[in-house]
Amino acid sequence: MGATAATPAVRLSSITKRYGPVVACDAVDLELLPGEIHGILGENGAGKSTLMKILIGLVQPDNGSAFVAGRETVIHDPQTAADLGIGMVHQHLSLVGSLTVWENVVLGDHRRLDRRTARRQVTETAEHYGLDIDPDRHVGELSAGLRQRVELIKCLRRDPAIVILDEPTSVLTPAESEQLFRTLRDVVAREQRAVALVSHKLAEILHATDKVTIMRQGRVVDQRTTADATAASLARAMVGREVSLRASATALGAAAVPREADGNAEPASRPSVADDRPVMLSIDHAQLQRHGVAVLDDLSLTVRAGEIVGVAGVEGNGQRELGDLLSSLIELDGGSVTLDGQRVRSGRAGSMARSGVAVIPEDRHDSGCVLDMSVADNLLIDRVAAHSRFGFINRGHIRRTAEQLMAEFEIQGAGYSAPFGSLSGGNQQRVVLARELSSQPKVLVAAQPTRGLDVGAIEYMTARLRAAAESGIAVLLISTELEEILDLSDRIVVLSRGRVIGQLNRADATPERLGLLLGGMATPDEPTEESHARA
Amino acid sequence: MRAPDAAVIRRGLKVTGMYVVSIAVALSLSAGLIAITGGPWRKVLSALLDGSIRNPGRWGGTLAEAAPLLIVALGAIISTRAGLVNIGQEGQVAVGAALAAFVATRGSGPLVLVAAIAAGFIGGALWAGIAALLRFWRNVPEVISTLLLVFIAAQATGYLLTRTFLLLDSDPNKPNRVQTSAQLDSATRIGRVRLFGNEFPWSVPVALLLAIAVALLLHRSVWGFRLTVLGRNPRTAQRIGVPVVVAGAAALAISGAMAGLAGAAMLAGGTANYRYTPGFANSVGWEGLLVALVARNRPLVCLPTAFIFASLRTGSGFLAATGVERSIVDVVRALLVLALLVPPAVAAVQRRRVSPPPAAAAAEEPTVIMGATA
Repeated sequence: MGATAATPAVRLSSITKRYGPVVACDAVDLELLPGEIHGILGENGAGKSTLMKILIGLVQPDNGSAFVAGRETVIHDPQTAADLGIGMVHQHLSLVGSLTVWENVVLGDHRRLDRRTARRQVTETAEHYGLDIDPDRHVGELSAGLRQRVELIKCLRRDPAIVILDEPTSVLTPAESEQLFRTLRDVVAREQRAVALVSHKLAEILHATDKVTIMRQGRVVDQRTTADATAASLARAMVGREVSLRASATALGAAAVPREADGNAEPASRPSVADDRPVMLSIDHAQLQRHGVAVLDDLSLTVRAGEIVGVAGVEGNGQRELGDLLSSLIELDGGSVTLDGQRVRSGRAGSMARSGVAVIPEDRHDSGCVLDMSVADNLLIDRVAAHSRFGFINRGHIRRTAEQLMAEFEIQGAGYSAPFGSLSGGNQQRVVLARELSSQPKVLVAAQPTRGLDVGAIEYMTARLRAAAESGIAVLLISTELEEILDLSDRIVVLSRGRVIGQLNRADATPERLGLLLGGMATPDEPTEESHARA
Repeated sequence: MRAPDAAVIRRGLKVTGMYVVSIAVALSLSAGLIAITGGPWRKVLSALLDGSIRNPGRWGGTLAEAAPLLIVALGAIISTRAGLVNIGQEGQVAVGAALAAFVATRGSGPLVLVAAIAAGFIGGALWAGIAALLRFWRNVPEVISTLLLVFIAAQATGYLLTRTFLLLDSDPNKPNRVQTSAQLDSATRIGRVRLFGNEFPWSVPVALLLAIAVALLLHRSVWGFRLTVLGRNPRTAQRIGVPVVVAGAAALAISGAMAGLAGAAMLAGGTANYRYTPGFANSVGWEGLLVALVARNRPLVCLPTAFIFASLRTGSGFLAATGVERSIVDVVRALLVLALLVPPAVAAVQRRRVSPPPAAAAAEEPTVIMGATA
């Protein structure tokens, strides 16, 4: 903080890091100035995280040098980084759930532990930044947003000159994100700290940063003042080609930002689905207990043919169970599932699939595929019987069909006989998509379909989901990404503690309104229950 | 086809090298042990070879020993495919043989033989079925239940031999006081093949056909495919319509049935002179399991493996003349099993360690480290 505006708090000079044949960082230059929020934008695998790990001493660069407050320094390990005043709020929060807030904050200190002093310090830091928190609560009881607040307090208490935030909003509600950015502004303006904000969300970068560095495939492709950037120009620089903003920027954007800000406000171009379309999927009063807790609590929803219904909600509010239910993986304690007019017993092997439910599972490794079977086997895993005679599989038939599907869905990287596990995440997801869509389903359940994918893959997945709905498939989109829900859905239901707490038509849904519902801060006073009543 | 790349060839050579080295180590250790226990190892090796294949008529006997080992191994492979580990074959062999003896000693003729073999099959299936029931009803790990059922099987079949209305031979002129079942009537025995001065029961070619059938079923049939999915990812299996409980229990029962079948084939093929005796299974169950293990669950690789294991069994009979303990063969067998299992295990570990997939390395992998340092 003693540094003047002329000396960067940190300067990285031509940093290179290789992992085998992959260059994660390729001669990267980066300057973080005090009093500035510097966005670092890039797709998954662009090298952002590696760069930050180098800065925090977790990874040693193969080449290049680091200057902290103008002096060349080798950052051996995280302890060195901490001594140099570099603090980080990690993407995956690293707190101990069974300890209290103040215990977590002082965890890792070398000084003697004094409960009273520690608690006071925590409270003081919290008050100083307006981060209201009870130091005696157990971290395990806190919401994701509050946990991150604890991380932030932990980081700021050590008075760092440089604060790194790695994808900080991935677990936050829009309101929480907004609060976080306010705090960051404050930290930067009042105390002249340097902040690095790592993100792949365009809107967040546009909204919260002063400068932005865009990385692609390990290289810095652009560095500019945020004020001069637009969502379109950032997306282009990040992906290296023109992308449809509606498909990608929206999926990448942060919900905390009003949609108008980046020109995404045009209404869904697809006409809304007529109410006279037949109901393909109807879940009525579903009830499921786990360890005495209701994980699905009187949950009812319907999806009509050709309609995309988005299920929004903070993670862990019944989304996984909903996906599992429609994958025939769990048996309900009460309630029913009706598909195209036929009641289907839950929890019977393959019952949902046989009735025409295709599923892109939340975790494809858990229930979507078999890693050490071949790509072809995985593509046709649910229908080998159709490619067999007298109970014996026709390998040639399987191969030809698999190759057709691979061409149609542009699955690259390996042949049909390669183990599924050797494909990249994006291609694995395409295999699952290809299989599920080619099963000619009546209902398609897509659970977190774009999680972990890069922008090109997101674009592809989004287009496929839309096309599926247009072809008359009833689509149930379960996602924690609000922008994805808002972008794709005709109708949105909000899930909380296994219950549907609100339903909105796309036209009524704004991020703010949804955010309030998600945060449990509003009751839906909208006239939205009508579809419920109709079902 | 593109040419295999150099790294693959190098890895292949390395694995082959490891096999050579580890077998050499196992054999030298065995030779050393034999030397310590007082015999010249050349004589011991020679005796083993004489007893298993070299002496006239011996390889027929070895084939006869190999058949049940093979059938047991095939069963073990089936349950392993489904992700269930059956290690109770020793007991399933005994139960199968006992039930077969019960049926076979009630009558005479080829029909009774068929019924007896079916009884062996069912007996093994029922015994493994207990483990399957416990597994899917009470979540008892099948590794433990199948193993413990071996000891119960020994006691239960032993009890059958104490009552004449069950299995005990009621012939007042029986040769000795050992409790055995009656001998199978000559019309109830499996016929014998005579070939180049050797003879073995028809169960040998049947076992060979079974191996081919199991290989085909597992690798080419819809059933085998679904079983494989079940074994590797039960949740995916459930989603695509493989009933986890039914298919899993069936696989375990079939695995037991194969062991029971092996027991019936032994009984009707001449083991223990066509009688059911205490200790009838005589480690065939354990060794069949080892055959599957060494063949790494590939049915056709079980063919040579079963023959080698059978050779050690028949060869050990000739050791008495060398003055070396017969049980040394058990040690040799154990060393060989280890020698054959080490190279693939090492290769697998190395493959994993050498290069993590580049994508994973470049992506957000080291979160674990982050957690540790924070």
